[in-house]
Amino acid sequence: MECVYRLPFLILEVPNLKLKRPSWFVKPSAMIVFSFILLSYFLVTGGIIYDVIVEPPSVGSTTDEHGHTRPVAFMPYRVNGQYIMEGLASSFLFTMGGLGFIILDQTHGPSTPKLNRVLLICVGFLSILVSFTACWIFMKMKLP
Amino acid sequence: MLSNKSSLSSQQQQLPSSSSSSSSSTSSANAKVMFPDKRSTTKQMKSSTLTNAAGLSSLITFTVLLLAWISGFASRLFAVIRFESIIHEFDPWFNYRATAYMVQHGFYNFLNWFDERAWYPLGRIVGGTVYPGLMITSGSIHYILHSLNIPVHIRDICVFLAPIFSGLTAISTYLLTKEIWSAGAGLFAACFIAIVPGYISRSVAGSYDNEGIAIFALQITYYLWVKSVKTGSIFWASITALSYFYMVSAWGGYVFIINLIPLHVFALLIMNRFSNRLFTSYSTFYVLGLLLSMQIPFVGFQPIRTSEHMAASGVFGLIIFVAAFRYLRTVLTKSEMKYFGGVVAVTTTMLLLILIVLTYTGVVAPWSGRFYSLWDTGYAKIHIPIIASVSEHQPTTWFSFFFDLHVLVALFPVGLWYCITHVNDERVFVVLYAISAVYFAGVMVRLMLTLTPVVCMLAGVAVSRLVELFLKEEDRDGNGNESNEESEEERERSPGPNLRNVIVLGMLMLLMMFTVHCTWVTSNAYSSPSIVLASYSNDGGRAILDDFREAYYWLAQNTANDARVMSWWDYGYQIAGMANRTTLVDNNTWNNSHIALVGKAMSSNESAAYDIMTSLDVDYVLIIFGGMIGYSGDDINKFLWMVRIAEGEHPQDIRESDYFTERGEFRVDSEGSPTLLNSLMYKLSYYRFGDVKIDYRSPYGYDRTRNAEIGNKNFQLTYLEEAYTTEHWLVRIYRVKKPAEFNRPIIPISERVITRRANSYVTKKTSRRKRGVIKGRPVVIKGQRPQRRTT
Repeated sequence: MECVYRLPFLILEVPNLKLKRPSWFVKPSAMIVFSFILLSYFLVTGGIIYDVIVEPPSVGSTTDEHGHTRPVAFMPYRVNGQYIMEGLASSFLFTMGGLGFIILDQTHGPSTPKLNRVLLICVGFLSILVSFTACWIFMKMKLP
Repeated sequence: MLSNKSSLSSQQQQLPSSSSSSSSSTSSANAKVMFPDKRSTTKQMKSSTLTNAAGLSSLITFTVLLLAWISGFASRLFAVIRFESIIHEFDPWFNYRATAYMVQHGFYNFLNWFDERAWYPLGRIVGGTVYPGLMITSGSIHYILHSLNIPVHIRDICVFLAPIFSGLTAISTYLLTKEIWSAGAGLFAACFIAIVPGYISRSVAGSYDNEGIAIFALQITYYLWVKSVKTGSIFWASITALSYFYMVSAWGGYVFIINLIPLHVFALLIMNRFSNRLFTSYSTFYVLGLLLSMQIPFVGFQPIRTSEHMAASGVFGLIIFVAAFRYLRTVLTKSEMKYFGGVVAVTTTMLLLILIVLTYTGVVAPWSGRFYSLWDTGYAKIHIPIIASVSEHQPTTWFSFFFDLHVLVALFPVGLWYCITHVNDERVFVVLYAISAVYFAGVMVRLMLTLTPVVCMLAGVAVSRLVELFLKEEDRDGNGNESNEESEEERERSPGPNLRNVIVLGMLMLLMMFTVHCTWVTSNAYSSPSIVLASYSNDGGRAILDDFREAYYWLAQNTANDARVMSWWDYGYQIAGMANRTTLVDNNTWNNSHIALVGKAMSSNESAAYDIMTSLDVDYVLIIFGGMIGYSGDDINKFLWMVRIAEGEHPQDIRESDYFTERGEFRVDSEGSPTLLNSLMYKLSYYRFGDVKIDYRSPYGYDRTRNAEIGNKNFQLTYLEEAYTTEHWLVRIYRVKKPAEFNRPIIPISERVITRRANSYVTKKTSRRKRGVIKGRPVVIKGQRPQRRTT
C-alpha cells in the first residue's frame, strides 16, 4: 500500500512548503454574509439584470404641450419595462421594509433602555409602513 | 371535484383573508408544543383529546392546511367561473393533446408516438421529446376515477390539475418550513404559497403546464432532502431520489435541484460541517437519482454527458474524497498523510484534464444555450433570438417582484436574516436556495416561479418569529407568574401592551392587504385564458371575443384533413390542438432553421414568400391581426422577432435595418420603410383593411393597436387569396393559390379577343329556314284539327 502512493514521489520531490492560512481569510460573520446577500438582493430586485441587458435610460423624459422637456421618473403603463432610477428607488423601498422588520426584532435585546426600545419600534414600524405605501403608489402608477 | 366546485366558488371571497388571520392566531399556540405529523389521525383524536394541547395543535394544523388548500383551489377558479372549463394559452394545448392521446391509445403507444402533424415535413417524436410526468399524472387520475366508475372527461382533469396540486404544494411547503424552522412558520408559509400571485400565475385552472405539478415536486424533493440530511438514513435519501425522479419526469427545471443539492453539500463541506449523515444521504441520493433520471426518454444520457450535471458528479467525487480522507486520518500517521495529499492532487488534476478533454472533443456537451443565457445574460440577445423573443424569458423588472410577491418581498430578507444568524445544516440549504433563486428570477421573469416558494418559506419564518415575539409577551403579561425566568426590571423595560397591540394590528393589516392584493391580481392579471378575450365596456357590460376558436373551428371544418397551415410558432400548438391540422412550426422551438424559414417567408415580399411556401407545401397561412380591435399581441408587433430570427439564418436575404425607417423607427404608416410595406406579413395583415372605417372620426385604414393610418392601402394579392377572416378580424386565414390559378394572365373583358376557328364550313341554312326546324313538326292549319299521328 505504501509503495503505491510513494510511486509519484520517485520522480517528484516533496517541496518543503509551509502553507499558512492568510490572516484575512477567516470565516465571515453572519452579519457580513447577510449584508452581502442583502446588497445583491437590493440590486437584483431593482432589476439590474434588466438594466444591463436592455440598457434603458436612467430617467425618461417627455415633452409637454409647451415644448418643454420634462423628466419622467417612471415608465408609465409598462409593466415589463423600467428606468434605472425607478428600479433602484423601489428596491431601496423593499430593502427598507425588510430592515424595518429586522429593527422590530432587534427591540427585544435585554440591554436596550425603554426609550430606545420605543423609538426603535416606531422607526421600524414607520419604515415598514412608508416602504409599503410607497411601493403601492409606485405600482398604481405603473398599472395601466 | 366537480360537485365541490360550486360550493367552493361561493367561499372564495372570504377564504383568503380568513386563512391568513387564522394562521396568525395559530402560531402563538404552536410556539409551545406541536406534533404536526399526526395530521392524518386528527379525526380520531379530535373527539377524545381536544382539550389536550397536542391534539389541539394538530387540529389547528390540519384546519389551517385544509383551509389553505381550499382557498388556494378556490382563488384559482376565476377563469373557469368567468369563461368556461377550458385549456389556456399555448403550451397547455399541446400537453392536453398529448394527454388525450395517451388516455386514448395507452402509455406505450404514447411513448412511441410520432406526430406527423407537427413540424411538417419533419414530424416530431413526441414520446422522446416530452417530459411525461404531467401526462402520466393526469392520466392516472383519469384511470383511477374511471375504475371507480366516475366518468370525468380528461379535459376537466387537465383543467383542475394545477389548482389541486397547489394544495399539495402548500402542504409540502409546510413540511419543509417545519423542518428548517418551526411548525408555526410552516403554517404561515403554507398560507402564503396557497395564494401568492407568483405561483398562481402558473397554476390557475386551465393552465395545464409542467410547472403546475413541478413546484410541488420541487418542494417535496427539498423537504425529503432536508429530512434525509437531518436523519442521515438511507430510507429518506431513497425517497428523495424517487421524488427527484418524479420531478425529472415533470419539468426541465430539475436541473435546479441537481445543482442546488450538490451546492448545499459543497457549502457544508467548505463550512467544515461534514458528517456521516451528509455522506450517506448525498451518495445514496446521487447514485439513485442519476440512475432514475436516466430512465426518462427525453433526458436519456444527459445526466452523464452534459455540463449542467457535471457539478453533481464533481461534488460526489469530492465528498467521497473527504470521507476517505477523514477515514485515512484515523488510520495513517501524519507523515504518510503527506503523500496522500500529493496523490489526491495528481488524481484531481487528471480528472479535471479528462473532463476538459471530453468537453473539448464533444463527448460531454457544453452548456446548452438556455442555461448559458442564465450566466451570460447578454448571450441570448446576441446569439439566440428565439430564446430572447419569448416574453417570459425577458429579464425581470422591479415591478414583477412587487406585483408577484407584494409584502413578502420585504419579509424575505428578514427570514433570510434569521436563517443566517441561527445557522445549521438545513438553514444553509435554504439560504443557498434563496440566493440562487433570487438571481435566476432576476434573469428571467419566468423563473419568478422558483423564487416564490422560498420567498414564502422565509416570509413565513419572519412573520411567525415576529408575531411570536410580540404576542408571547402579551401572554406573559396576562398571567405573569408563568415567566419566572424573566426578571422584573426586564418586564418593566419592554414596551407597553398598547404599542405591541398596534404593531400586531399593523402586521395583520399588512397580511390582509396581501391577501386582498393576491385576490385582485389573480382576478385581473392571471385569470385570462388568452384564447377567449373579454372586453369590458364603460357600463360594465362584457363582450367576449371568441375569434381564435372561431378561426380554428373554421379550419377544422372547411379545410382538407391533411392541409398544412403556416403560422408563426406561437400558434402552432393551438392549431394542432383545436383545429387538428398540420403545422409547420410550433411552440416546441427545437428547430431554429425551420422557424427561420417561416420567418423569412413572412418577412419577404409576396413572390419570394411564395417560393418558400411552395417548397414547404403550405396550403393555408394564418395570421393574427389586432389592428381592428386594438389587440396588442398580434403578429405585426411580433414581426421584428420574425425578421431577427430569419436574419440569423439568412443574413444575405433579410436585414433587420431594412424594416426601419431612416430614423430608426418601426412604423406601419406611409413613412414606414418600403420593405416593410411590401412584406408578406404586412400585406396579409392589412389586406382590405384600407377600405375599412372603424368610426367616423378616424380615417380609412386606421390601425388601433399602433395608432396609425396604414401606409399601403390599395394592393391586391397575387399568390394568395383570403379564405376566412373572423368577426373582429383577429384571425385572418389565407389560402395559397396553386400555380394554375394565377399563371393565366387576366385580361379585361373589353380587350379580350376571342379567336374563332376560321374554317370553310358554310351553313346550309337559308334565310327562310333560319329559324330552325323540327323534323316531323305538325303543321298547323287554322280551322282544322291537327292530324293525329299514328305510330
